Amino acid sequence: MYWLREIARRLRMLVHRRQFDADLEEEMQLHLELRQQEHIESGMTADSARAAARRRFGNVTALREKSHMAWGWEWFESLLYDTRYALRRLRKSPSFTITVVLTLALGIGATTSIFTLFYEVLLKSLTVANPGELYRLGKEARCCYWGGYSQENEYSLVSYDLYKRFRGHTQGFAELAAFQASDPLFGVQRSGGTESAQSYPGEFVSGNYFAMFGISAYAGRLLTSTDDQPGAPAVAVMSYRLWQQYGSDPSIVGSVFHIDNTPFIIVGVTPPSFFGDTLRSDPPDFFLPLNSETLMPQADAGDLNQADQYWLDLIGRIRPGTESAAIEAQMRVELKQWLLSHQSEMSANDRAKLPEQTLFLRPGGSGITSMRAEYEHWLQILMMVSAFVLLIVCANVANLMFVRGMQRRRETSLSVALGAHTSRLVRQALTESILLSLAGGVTGLLVAFAGTHLILFFAFPSARGVAGLPIHASPSMPVLLFAFFVSLVAAVAFGVAPAWMTTRVDPIEALRGMSRSTARAGALPRKMMVVFQAALSLVLLAASGLLTTAVHRLENQRFGFLQEQRTIVRIDPGLVDYQPNQFTILYDRIRASLSTIPGVAAAAICQYSPLSGNNWASSVWLDGRPAPGPDAGKVENMVYWDRVTPGYFSAIGTQIIVGRGISEEDTATSQHVAVINEAFAKKYFNNENSIGQYFGRPELGSSRNYKIVGVVQNARYLDFDFDKPIVPFFFLAEAQHDVVAKTGADSNPGSHHLHDIILVVRPGATVSAAEIRQAIISVDPRLPIESIGTLGEQVSNQFRQQRLIAKLSSFFGMLSLVLASIGLYGVTSYNVGQRTAEIGVCLALGATPAQVAALVARRGFALVAVGLAVGFPLALAVGKFLGSQLYGLSPYDPATTFLAIVTLSFSTLVAALIPALRASRISPSEALRAE
Amino acid sequence: MHRDEIPPGTLYLLILKTLARSGELHGYEIANSIQRISDDVLQVEEGSLYPALQRMLIKGWVTAKWGTTAGNRRARYYQLTAAGRKQLAVEMSQFERVIGAITRVIEAV
Repeated sequence: MYWLREIARRLRMLVHRRQFDADLEEEMQLHLELRQQEHIESGMTADSARAAARRRFGNVTALREKSHMAWGWEWFESLLYDTRYALRRLRKSPSFTITVVLTLALGIGATTSIFTLFYEVLLKSLTVANPGELYRLGKEARCCYWGGYSQENEYSLVSYDLYKRFRGHTQGFAELAAFQASDPLFGVQRSGGTESAQSYPGEFVSGNYFAMFGISAYAGRLLTSTDDQPGAPAVAVMSYRLWQQYGSDPSIVGSVFHIDNTPFIIVGVTPPSFFGDTLRSDPPDFFLPLNSETLMPQADAGDLNQADQYWLDLIGRIRPGTESAAIEAQMRVELKQWLLSHQSEMSANDRAKLPEQTLFLRPGGSGITSMRAEYEHWLQILMMVSAFVLLIVCANVANLMFVRGMQRRRETSLSVALGAHTSRLVRQALTESILLSLAGGVTGLLVAFAGTHLILFFAFPSARGVAGLPIHASPSMPVLLFAFFVSLVAAVAFGVAPAWMTTRVDPIEALRGMSRSTARAGALPRKMMVVFQAALSLVLLAASGLLTTAVHRLENQRFGFLQEQRTIVRIDPGLVDYQPNQFTILYDRIRASLSTIPGVAAAAICQYSPLSGNNWASSVWLDGRPAPGPDAGKVENMVYWDRVTPGYFSAIGTQIIVGRGISEEDTATSQHVAVINEAFAKKYFNNENSIGQYFGRPELGSSRNYKIVGVVQNARYLDFDFDKPIVPFFFLAEAQHDVVAKTGADSNPGSHHLHDIILVVRPGATVSAAEIRQAIISVDPRLPIESIGTLGEQVSNQFRQQRLIAKLSSFFGMLSLVLASIGLYGVTSYNVGQRTAEIGVCLALGATPAQVAALVARRGFALVAVGLAVGFPLALAVGKFLGSQLYGLSPYDPATTFLAIVTLSFSTLVAALIPALRASRISPSEALRAE
Repeated sequence: MHRDEIPPGTLYLLILKTLARSGELHGYEIANSIQRISDDVLQVEEGSLYPALQRMLIKGWVTAKWGTTAGNRRARYYQLTAAGRKQLAVEMSQFERVIGAITRVIEAV
């Protein structure tokens, strides 16, 4: 505490230092006067008494300084003086200051806004207690279902049975919680409410889920283990965001909500900061106990009590002092034991793979990382791009500072001549840089705030549910620190060179006329800045060109279906309690009802329309060939499929190449048929007579489930793997139900819940949403309509991120181009100014204006040429880094690179030509008089 | 009259001791007191009292407050604190140790 009081005393001195100096002055004065008095009394004259007193006292000024410095604040005071001095100098050249601050604001703002996203998405922990104690199962996020008794590479999803095994046997976890890996939408209706059912994201979680995260309810209570028991009353927890939507009504807690037509009592509300276990754009609004899964309608139910249905993610909180590696080893043993105990139910494949089954624990403080995986690469790209922009900004500002330093040489050399310390001069120059940079940083934060908002708005225009994005545009502490740090780094980056220049000033120059000086100090670094800027601009232009071309190609690829005049109406028949045999009639009536709307040319319904984000997959077993082996479950052997009503292919605009599509003749009782795409025909029949052949699905236990009646053109259904060829796909008739050979049960009742109605609108006609709703309500008012939109929107939404990243990098590319051009312009015109006399002499001796212009421009352009030479290999390297974001476009796309070079050359040529032309118009006589 | 410079490092000791003996003094009085008691042998470069007093203020050995002199002038009076008393004891024992050692060295035969 002693030193603390000392600091307090020192601080008090700092605050009152004027008073302090005055006190000291008065005290010393008194001393001198009393001594003088004494001497006078002993008989001296007044003058000699004063002199004697002073002699005995010592050097008053030096002692005063010594007393002052004893308090240890001289560094602070000189900083204060330097700051005041720098501020005064900056105020005296407002245009310079504003230019520099704005340029820096752009650079720092761009970097900071990208960092905000980077931090929020990639670095931030969940807002739960002690996230460092959390561990999750799985090295990589796996979505969302897995069946059988083996998992590829690692066990990252678990069944309820396996979860109970882990929870019961792993002592190292204080709590181990499980929750649904997929992110379903629930149809939700408040009991007694008048409005129709709405869809909200939600998930099933284990009873100890909230206890594991260590969070407590905002209102009411959260789920407990007693809620998660078979036969427990159906209760649910609501998100704070949704609760707010209901006007933060306290009566919500305790009221009944129908979730997928099942009544649940809302027992509590999560805290505002809680966004669930996973960073995603649509956090859950409802949390339901795992055991309530059995209460739900058939579409959802059935996973809970199947030991080999993996649909849960695991996160556990380890006991303090426990090693995660030890728990991991123990869980591997438990997994083996569990698998062995289920050996009798295993397929031969699974039994063969048993020895290689393993699992991994990873830090889980930031939750399950699907969004992270999705955005990591593109955030890295943007981070890199913005760092390049910042570098260019620094180079540009350094150039401006150089010019300023050159103009101040005389002043500086005068200071040196008068005895100023070099270190103090450097400190002054750096102080100025840091002030500029901090001003740029503060302005940059505003830019960043607006920029982040804008990016979020474009990237996630319509998140499902009301929970909103768990990403905040407003700067958090780490972001503020980042901006501050970046500002300081920038200040040093652009401030060191001019500061260094001040140390190289010869005092003798103060005595000479500056304009007569032959010194060309700083010429080389300034040229290097231009080279550097040109090189970085080329990289950015090439990268943005590649990204833009890639997106353009994505959007204009052959999709295999028609987007024009197609409207998609999304419904959820699974939420209404239809019997399995009622669907075909329902769909017929919906199609008929919609067809009566004027302007509607056709209507067809499918389980999932192209690029809607959902698809079912299975492996296939071709008739007359051996049953699929152990590799059948691998992703590359999966075949995707869709269930459709008659008239589907003409409605979606996919051409039938051979045979026929699904039609009215395919009824529940007729031969089960399939229509395959070209990729299917090519892969399994080598493009030869596939019509009339049979195939089946191993899980149905037959190779003759379907007879192939048609082949259609390839169409893009999957919303991933855009850089790969279209995969094999088959289409089944809605009216025909698949039956498992052994049991005779309907194998995929859920596949008859068709979600997407495709309406073909006649050219020139418009169909309103109200008309569509009315037509569907007239069939069944209970049927929830999730959305109505065009197929074109659905497709372009797929490429929103790619478009955004291309746009952002183009923006950064243009920014860098402008900055590089300004930089070159600055250097060239400064050189012209320096060489006015020389140019005058040339002109007087008979050089033509064109020759002079060429001389000046050539110099400037030579710098750009060097920049291009440096930037070219860099641009290639960056293209390679972009790699997977280019969707099959070669990173060495010559056209794009060439275009970038031409653009850069042209704009820098203009930048160099302007001062060159000015030079050619110099009048020789004026130039010679100019000194 | 010849006056000796005070040995280096003993200025604090002298000031502390003087204040301990006399209670409240201002700078001029401290200088005079040291000089008088040492029979004019110890001569402080009077001005150097002030930086030393500042350092002692920082350390918390003395406190200062403004008062009025007999001649009705404003003056800053210094006073020993508890920490200053402790420091005096430390400096005293240090000084005695050094002096003792020097004495032993020069008196050794």
